[in-house]
Amino acid sequence: MSATTVDASIGMDVHDGHGSHGHGKKGLMHYIWNTDHKVIAMQFLWTSIIYLVLGGSMAIAMRWQLAWPGHPIPILGHLLPSTVVSEDGALIPGGYNMLVTMHGTILVFFVAMPVLIGVFGNFLIPLKIGAGDMAFPALNELSYWLFSISGLIMIATFFAPGGAPGTGWTAYAPLSSHGPYNGTSLGQTLWCVSLFVNGLSSLTGAVNYITTVITMRAPGMTMFRMPLPVWAIFITAILLIFAIPVLSAAAALIIFDLNFGTSFYRPAGGGQPLLWQHLFWFFGHPEVYILVLPAMGFTSEILAVFSRKPVFGYKAMVYAMSVIGFLGFIVWGHHMYVSGMQLWLSAAFGVSTMVIAVPSAIKTFNWMGTIWRGSIHYTVPMAFAVAFVSMFVIGGLSGIFMASTPVDLFVHHTYFIVAHFHYVIFGAIVFSVFAAIYFWYPKMSGRMWNETLGWIHFWMSFVFFNLTFFPMHNLGLAGMMRRISDPTVYDCLKQVQPLNVICTIGAIGLGLSTIPFLINMFWSLKYGPKAPANPWNSTTLEWTLENPIQHGNFPVTPTIYHGPYEYSIPGMEKDFLPQNEKAPDHIKLEAH
Amino acid sequence: MIRAMIPSLKKSTLTSGSLISRVVQGIIFLLLIVPAMAEQRAGNIYGLPPCVTVSGEKVDAIFRIIFYLTATVFVLTQGTYIVYLIKYRRRPGVKAHYSHGNNTLEIIWTTLPTIIFLALAIYGNRVWDEIHRPAPENALTIDVSSYQFGWQMRYPGVSGKLSPSDVRAISPQNPFGTDPSDPRTAQDVISPDLVIPVGRPVHVLLHSRDVIHSFYVPEFRLYQDCVPGRTIGWVWFQATRTGDFQLACNQLCGTGHYNMKAPIHILPEEEFQKWLTPRQQKNAASSTPPASPTQADPVAHKAPEKELPLTTTETKPKL
Amino acid sequence: MNNAAFNNASLFHAPTVQEADHHGHPKTDPKICRLGTIVFLCSEALLFSGLISAYLVVRAAGGFSNWPPNFHDGIELPAMPRLLTGINTVILVSSSFVYHAAESAVKKGKSGSSLILLAAMLGATFVGIQCVEWTNLYREGLWFNKGGVYGSSFFTLTGFHGAHVCIGVLLILWCFYLQVTRRTFTPQRHVALENVGLYWHFVDVVWVFLYVILYWL
Ligand code: HEA
Ligand code: HEA
Ligand code: CUA
Ligand SMILES: [Cu+2]
Repeated sequence: MSATTVDASIGMDVHDGHGSHGHGKKGLMHYIWNTDHKVIAMQFLWTSIIYLVLGGSMAIAMRWQLAWPGHPIPILGHLLPSTVVSEDGALIPGGYNMLVTMHGTILVFFVAMPVLIGVFGNFLIPLKIGAGDMAFPALNELSYWLFSISGLIMIATFFAPGGAPGTGWTAYAPLSSHGPYNGTSLGQTLWCVSLFVNGLSSLTGAVNYITTVITMRAPGMTMFRMPLPVWAIFITAILLIFAIPVLSAAAALIIFDLNFGTSFYRPAGGGQPLLWQHLFWFFGHPEVYILVLPAMGFTSEILAVFSRKPVFGYKAMVYAMSVIGFLGFIVWGHHMYVSGMQLWLSAAFGVSTMVIAVPSAIKTFNWMGTIWRGSIHYTVPMAFAVAFVSMFVIGGLSGIFMASTPVDLFVHHTYFIVAHFHYVIFGAIVFSVFAAIYFWYPKMSGRMWNETLGWIHFWMSFVFFNLTFFPMHNLGLAGMMRRISDPTVYDCLKQVQPLNVICTIGAIGLGLSTIPFLINMFWSLKYGPKAPANPWNSTTLEWTLENPIQHGNFPVTPTIYHGPYEYSIPGMEKDFLPQNEKAPDHIKLEAH
Repeated sequence: MIRAMIPSLKKSTLTSGSLISRVVQGIIFLLLIVPAMAEQRAGNIYGLPPCVTVSGEKVDAIFRIIFYLTATVFVLTQGTYIVYLIKYRRRPGVKAHYSHGNNTLEIIWTTLPTIIFLALAIYGNRVWDEIHRPAPENALTIDVSSYQFGWQMRYPGVSGKLSPSDVRAISPQNPFGTDPSDPRTAQDVISPDLVIPVGRPVHVLLHSRDVIHSFYVPEFRLYQDCVPGRTIGWVWFQATRTGDFQLACNQLCGTGHYNMKAPIHILPEEEFQKWLTPRQQKNAASSTPPASPTQADPVAHKAPEKELPLTTTETKPKL
Repeated sequence: MNNAAFNNASLFHAPTVQEADHHGHPKTDPKICRLGTIVFLCSEALLFSGLISAYLVVRAAGGFSNWPPNFHDGIELPAMPRLLTGINTVILVSSSFVYHAAESAVKKGKSGSSLILLAAMLGATFVGIQCVEWTNLYREGLWFNKGGVYGSSFFTLTGFHGAHVCIGVLLILWCFYLQVTRRTFTPQRHVALENVGLYWHFVDVVWVFLYVILYWL
């Protein structure tokens, strides 16, 4: 816990000594219980970077084992507990399962969600809608602390007797719900408890975001004048409210099955193993859109800013996101086509899954419309945003294969799936997170980052990312199963082993590509040049504020006169028009 | 895109520029090699392993359609994208075009994908239904039983029919859930390998004794979970050629999951009979009269006269 | 869940709203608090939907008519005490009405504290009767781990709900305490009272559903 506390204080520098926090608390307590949304955003950021390194290193350990099965892992092998590695530092099969599980769980719940929602939700919503803070600042800080606690519980599973759970991030019952099957009753219970607490954190956050967006917009900020990241996080928060409690309920039932002898998932007692899958995926599918919607929002804005053009089809973007949010709740069965679910249900879910690809297509075409006839400035955030679109198309197109019921008979649970979701999760979401961090860092820290390091980071991660995950499509089509610690036990996979080696080399490179990024962030925090208030000539409200932003944000509540993306208006000297500036009388803005 | 970005890259990383571009070149080379390697291995351009079942060919057909469709979409979208990125890069004196969108375009690019996707869904579900038609009458029925961490197959004995079983009776003592007091039970042929005849439909009844496992054979284009407490009876296939393959469990089921496999032998009909018949006869000869019903066994409390149903398909609606 | 924090108006201080409490913190607009509570209750509703649909799925899979499934462990499963719980349901629902009356009284400028206390007592009675029922069923051989998924789901669903009722009773008692000692709630300002009320009505409505589904279906 001390680590997070210290880290949180780094973010504090930002406006320490400027403006008063008005809480009368001093010293450590002041940092631990700070209700300023900008500080909470930084707390989330530093904490989830720790988890990125943790979860990413687990991936490297897994990749090592897949390329060179049974060979001791250099360095990492000696850091892992004895439930995971043998004495000489090679992964054991059970340990591999634990790492897969923890890698998936940590990166989804402790990296992607907090970064997208905890960091940028907190930082951007009040600033972009012209509010002084969140509706419930105390609840907001509570959300951060629940998140921290849940992370510690998750890490603690490694030290349970039997080790961390090795049941996958999907924790299919009855493997997960019966101690003798999974061998770590306590570990699995802690996993469920951690997700329960993490869920509470997400819910408190979501309550805050929804309430803030609905009630605290500055005068003139109508819903259809909100910047797209705010829309995206608003819709995401609604998805959280509906999806998370179902996971909590399902996890509670696993806790009961493990510890109190109930039989929800135990066939002998009349329970249903598939019940877990239905509940989990009812949460799990909306979850992937919970992750991608904010990323889409950031990308839309960054593309517009650096193309110096209004977002193409602003309303279409909003409608598409809403439709994704709605349809997201009726496609969960595409993870269960071949699970033993009724066959006609699989067919029905096949149709809804195909339909949900339509709004994604709309968004893709609108992004291309945004850069069409623009004046594209190549900066690091723009490069990442551009890469987002490209990688999202690749990941989305592989989704079409799996959405087709007969094809899923072949590719289900193979590396084709692993390739699909890393393209959408890393290639799209993480790239857009990088874009967003580079884009808003000057506002968050008041300083600019180093451009050279930024470009090195971009090119390394772009190249190594594709090197890591593209060959996985081929591995999957060759029949390589997920979650196996040694592909060479299968005759048909021996011949594709070189591909596994390529993936692993790529993964190591991808891991190393993170280093320039981390250096850049920490270096800039202290030594970066001071950032101007509006380094990108952007139109939204956060850029109208001087650095560092004071507690309470807006000295005078701003009034909003038009939509968020007014760039390159004909007849105007300046090529952008901030939302709180009236257009000159002779200018007519196009409706969006 | 790459070309458009390299100038700015060079500008900011003057010293390491040449090194980086060399690395980039090397990697692009590798990426081109990857599909080529897969091609060599599998003998066809999709990198798929050989397909040895009739239904698998249908899967491959729809796979191919989606492959060409997505490949076209990929080339078109990424191509346009790269052209835009280069063509519309910032140039002095050129201002961006001011436009908030175009409703006609929105309608076009909403309807077009909708039509394509719905067509795909309808076609896919038709193939799905074809693959899952009830197994033909002449099919060979095999009980495939999975456990942590292995497989057991149960073949019909001399009577030509599997002895009746009940999933609820499955236990460590009675792994197939059969009725020990039934004389037919002892006739069943138990095998660690999945041996099947070529050209004849094979109907598998999938069972699990503990957690969820799955029946996965890439060459069959077939995947189906085995769910404890249930008989999954809709999976059947017909092999089109002989050969040796491996049955894999592809559902995370515990420590030994990675190695939960069983050999598959597809044999010509005569050789298959040569394999099966001696085993059937051996069991018929050695099968003793049923054990006394008083003996404590898991199904003893069931009335012995009542014949247990042979569950070949799901009878009750499940989930 | 953090209902206490949730309904404590003094914890919230949105700078855009001018009114200040005794610490000098600005107070959050009651409308914002109500919206927050409603959003939170939506997620609570989904929690119960998850549990209820789990129960329905398990039942549907076993065949609806084939319930309770008395195959398990060879024990004869006890019948549900429909009448006693019916009375209990009336008690809980009436406490909702009493609470509503208390709110109206406060809005009219009266103290309303006795009505608040009565609502809490009715809630506590509900919990008491529920405990008696649990003990009886336990004696007859039904428990979380006895009676198969029948026992599991009955005790889990009523247990989850019971926990919510307990929290609700504590919250109401806390309102009562505030009103008696400090006369916190006035016709102009009664944020916590109102939000606890929303929560309490929600818990009651959920119970009506549970009663129908668990005892009569
Ligand atoms: C952010 C994450 C994210 C996103 C956005 C998506 C998007 C999609 N996903 Fe993905 N998915 C995951 C994350 C995600 N997925 C994860 C994590 C898993 C694995 C879980 C596990 O088992 O552990 C998974 C698994 C998964 C499965 C289950 C596979 C299996 O286990 O067998 C399926 C099946 O249908 C699927 C389908 C889709 C589809 C159709 C989309 C669509 O939304 C994609 C739509 C986008 C496009 C199609 C591209 C752009 C469109 C155009 C350029 C228009 C023109 C196109 C055409 C005409 C073809 N996904
Ligand atoms: C946000 C989500 C996210 C992210 C970012 C990633 C990132 C990565 N994942 Fe992820 N992955 C999942 C979500 C994610 N994954 C999920 C949900 C699963 C399914 C789990 C399951 O089956 O249950 C999965 C499964 C999964 C598998 C399949 C395992 C299996 O089925 O057997 C593999 C295999 O290659 C893999 C690899 C990687 C790699 C190499 C990265 C890399 O991108 C990581 C790069 C990052 C770092 C390395 C950390 C930071 C860098 C440093 C600290 C520098 C120094 C480090 C070194 C070089 C050692 N992942
Ligand atoms: Cu059995 Cu995996
Ligand atoms: Cu999905």
